[in-house]
Amino acid sequence: MPATQHLVKDLEQDSMISLEQAKVGCEFHIRFLSGSSCEQLRQMGFCETMRVKKISDGRNLICNVCGTKMAVSRELAHQIMGEATP
Amino acid sequence: MNTENSLETIALAGNPNAGKTTLFNALTGDNQKVGNYAGVTIAKKSGEFFTPHGRKVRLLDLPGCYSLLGESPDQKIAASVLAGDDREEPVPAMVLNVVDSSALERHLMLTLEIIELGIPTVVALNMIDVAESRGIRLHPQILSEQLGVAVVPLQANTGKGLIEIKQSLRHPLPHPATISWITPGMTDEQKGQARVAYIKKTCELAARRPEKDQLLLSDRLDQIFLHPIGGWACLIGIMFGLFWSIFRFAEIPMGWMESAQGGLQKFVSQQMPPGDLHDLIIQGIIGGAGSVLIFLPQIVLLFLFIGLLESTGYMARAAYLMDGPMSRVGLSGKAFLPLLSSYACAIPGIMATRTIESAKERLVTIFVAPWMSCSARLPVYLLIVPLLLDQEEGASWQQAAIMIGLYVIGTLTAFLVAKLLRKKLGADTQKKHFIMELPVYRAPQWSYIFRHVGDRAWAFVKNAGTIILAISIILWALQTYPKSDSADPAEVLAHSAMGRISKAIEPIFKPIGQDGRTGAAILTSFAAREVFVSSMGIVHHIEEGDDDMQNRKALRKKLHDTNWPDGTPMFTTASLISLLLFYIYALQCLPTTAVVAKETGSWKWAIGQFTFMTAFAWLAAFVAFQLSH
Repeated sequence: MPATQHLVKDLEQDSMISLEQAKVGCEFHIRFLSGSSCEQLRQMGFCETMRVKKISDGRNLICNVCGTKMAVSRELAHQIMGEATP
Repeated sequence: MNTENSLETIALAGNPNAGKTTLFNALTGDNQKVGNYAGVTIAKKSGEFFTPHGRKVRLLDLPGCYSLLGESPDQKIAASVLAGDDREEPVPAMVLNVVDSSALERHLMLTLEIIELGIPTVVALNMIDVAESRGIRLHPQILSEQLGVAVVPLQANTGKGLIEIKQSLRHPLPHPATISWITPGMTDEQKGQARVAYIKKTCELAARRPEKDQLLLSDRLDQIFLHPIGGWACLIGIMFGLFWSIFRFAEIPMGWMESAQGGLQKFVSQQMPPGDLHDLIIQGIIGGAGSVLIFLPQIVLLFLFIGLLESTGYMARAAYLMDGPMSRVGLSGKAFLPLLSSYACAIPGIMATRTIESAKERLVTIFVAPWMSCSARLPVYLLIVPLLLDQEEGASWQQAAIMIGLYVIGTLTAFLVAKLLRKKLGADTQKKHFIMELPVYRAPQWSYIFRHVGDRAWAFVKNAGTIILAISIILWALQTYPKSDSADPAEVLAHSAMGRISKAIEPIFKPIGQDGRTGAAILTSFAAREVFVSSMGIVHHIEEGDDDMQNRKALRKKLHDTNWPDGTPMFTTASLISLLLFYIYALQCLPTTAVVAKETGSWKWAIGQFTFMTAFAWLAAFVAFQLSH
């Protein structure tokens, strides 16, 4: 990959936030998963390109993934990176 | 190969809580347990049904799995059968993949993995009513074209679409689908990305969602049940209501059963001449099995309430709320359901631990589950608590407070030991984080709940009629033989095998404030705790009457007046506290030990648990007796 594309990708990633950081009520567009539990997250429906809605915060977050409510620990939510739209 | 295995097998696979077991029951007419949370089916179950062409096929209901790579024990069972790695099962001739049509994006991941295995597949597009209520526009035909397999819309709980499902399973079975989303040479990561992209494209074509999610009644209910304060108030209220109802409502049928038992004893007594056979039937068979059957109403009520919580979808919310407190002792919210079930009976509780992904957390949960005071401890508590307070058996607030205290002591100790054991076992190789589906609330499926409760009740009755009956007969024989010429019941007992055993074991029980007779009653209750009450009645020569409450009253009076040979009272506050503590902690249930061995795959673990809990019980009773004596 050319250096400029790397730079663009890095900048994109820098502008992203984790699901843990996203505000309650926002739509969150998952861009990539980063961490040790990516496979577990994908199995449960948290795939790249998926849109989720964050419903509540707390020790375990609640979000809506394709019409299903999921409770996810903060550690896992920290591994879900993407963009939030209010 | 047996007949069952010679039939063609169709495997029922899908994500947890997709409705597989509901469809299984509808197709086979069976009555497997259904619920509304992920992980109701924890073992494979099979049944048979006829296709529209009259061909008999075997349907294999697999535990739900999100992916063929899932790590929890129940998910591994499903993956291994589908991959043909299960030595007990043939490779399925076909897979009936049940998907939740309101969450296709998540469920199709497993569908693609199954199709990739090269097994002919039919997709059952379940819960179309839920998808429609969410405004999702489903196109089964397009979905079928995209996946290359037959897709049948279905509403399994009402039976809508069942005929079409049966039609789709007829011979000749379809060919395996052509796989277009992955190509040879792709890495696992590339395959995963390709599946995600294909699912996205497929759902855009076949299951379009409305721009805005619609707020359902379920979402409104969650605003209450998952509220940081209101949610806890509801959980505490529901749990309190559950236990209160069990004790309050069970009293009525328990009274009927007591009368029936007394009546039967009286009838048999009048029909038979006195003698060993008379005693065996009256004391050994009717008295022994009856003293256990009396608790059937409480067990039925407990399973009914737990079935209601499971069926509506509340159980997953309770697990979510409990994750915080449970994490303080090294467990997760997923351990809550097995522990809650253990208040009814530790056996289903221990089996329910299969949904826990972390092997270490599962072991710890299995280890402490028997400390949740199960329903078999109740008769012992009901005998001792009024004696401790020197009151009549009844609903005094002091008795209620002590009863609650006994449950709390067991639970707190379980949590404390869980914390220590979790620390000792160390962290998981790969940390397991909490992630759980919170299903949409549904109206309870009463027919299944009642049939399930009926099955549990029958299993309990069968147990009372086999194992407990056999133990009762053995006990009776030990208490009767060898015979003595004396007419004094105390001398007869002292001369019997049980009397000799009591004498031999008295040194073990004296330090906890009990004599050999109580020791013998405790010993008999190692097969089943509830035997203690009838054993105490026998060793203290209480004449069995028509009314069990009167029998317990008579027994309590006798115990109150019982003295040591030096004239000091035997059943003091100290010795009764010691006895209660022993019953809270001792693992006196052989079937539980057998299930632990099966679930952990280790008799060493099961025997270790039995030894530890018995030693702990004795030690706790010893400390309590010595300090309060």
